[in-house]
Amino acid sequence: MASHTFTLPDLGEGLVEATVLEWLVAVGDGVERNAPLVEVETTKASTELPSPAGGTVLELHAAEGETVAVGAPLFTLEIAAESGIVGTVPAEAPPTRRVRLRPPAAR
Amino acid sequence: MAEWTMQEALNAALADCLADDDRTLILGEDVGRNGGVFRVTAGLQERFGEQRVFDTPLAEAGILGTAVGLCMHGFRPIAEMQFDGFTFPAFNQLAAHVSKLRTRSGGALNLPLTLRVPSYGAIRSPEHHSESIETFCAHLPSIKVVSPSTPSEAYALLRAAVADPDPVVFLEPKSRYWSREERVAGDDLVGAGARQSGADADAERGDGYASRIVRSGSDVTLIAWGACVQRCVQAAAFAAEDGVEVEVLDLRWLKPLDVDGLVASVARTRRAVVVHEAPVTLGLGAEVAALLGERLFGTLAAPVGRVGAPDMPYPVAALEDEYLPSPDRILLAIQRTFDAVAA
Repeated sequence: MASHTFTLPDLGEGLVEATVLEWLVAVGDGVERNAPLVEVETTKASTELPSPAGGTVLELHAAEGETVAVGAPLFTLEIAAESGIVGTVPAEAPPTRRVRLRPPAAR
Repeated sequence: MAEWTMQEALNAALADCLADDDRTLILGEDVGRNGGVFRVTAGLQERFGEQRVFDTPLAEAGILGTAVGLCMHGFRPIAEMQFDGFTFPAFNQLAAHVSKLRTRSGGALNLPLTLRVPSYGAIRSPEHHSESIETFCAHLPSIKVVSPSTPSEAYALLRAAVADPDPVVFLEPKSRYWSREERVAGDDLVGAGARQSGADADAERGDGYASRIVRSGSDVTLIAWGACVQRCVQAAAFAAEDGVEVEVLDLRWLKPLDVDGLVASVARTRRAVVVHEAPVTLGLGAEVAALLGERLFGTLAAPVGRVGAPDMPYPVAALEDEYLPSPDRILLAIQRTFDAVAA
């Protein structure tokens, strides 16, 4: 078990902040990965953020109506194990391979 | 020298274009006050004013139509489509006017416009935000198409596109916007776009539409542009572990194609695989394969391979890694060129 604090993700299109409209969970609630967690509003649209992982809600870092900057803490989850995080910008993963080449016999 | 990202390189190129020529204008959705959804035009309206860098309504046909009109009155507009998939609403302008106006006017009207399009996939985006439109654009007469693969290439090729007397579609690999690279200095940068032809890596080509050899190898040539160049470089590194020396050729310009550069590289390696994100059927790989077949029929040791997408729409984010050319799919295509036996 480990607690993990998630920040407001980059919502794309150059947006730098969002306002918390409504929390869809409360402290102590168990959440599934990808379950709706919070509704936020940007200058462009309002959107639900899914939970990036399954776990238990430990803390909500912004009240409803409060504006949060991209990268600022949004909520803290207690997570059972490393279960993968969605909704974040994918970091460039090192490439992997399975195929092995058999070079041509005669060059 | 410091490093820079492709986003910073493109921003610097646009700033230098605006500073060098008063006729240069930037227009598009959110390019002004917001600075662009990928920050490519950040700070430009502040620096050059609302007359030169301005926001438009969300109407792509209007954006491109306005750019055509500006050209007819002596300006050199740089228009932005916010995402690849939103070029389609502007396609009538592209096909009916951008492609034809010079011919229609008997050469009286030139269209020195640049159409910037954040392109390709791999950023986990929703529908309409991951399209490969190069074939659609390159198929239209009188339109040039170019797609950079690194930050310094992006700088040099955008400067070249804006300076070009013809309309140029500039396809930016959005998955590479935040890729970093050592910054190339001053004059070297502007000249970079016109050097390193596949025909002769050391020679300058007169026409400035040369491809470049990213990595030299003797066994097979991988041919790509934009975001797929990096995929080919990764596949080439894996191949080297198996003792296979892969040449990687970055086409840069998809129209005009550097046929001499392509032919020179594949004449050495006798095997070629084209890699793109677009569907294989009628993708640009088909044109490259046909050209190589015409020019190197007696030299090729295997049919030209093609790695691209199946005939289906770009999938949801969770499946895009299956859709995009992976190192394994590129390696398998290389293996097929080794295993080919003439009937």
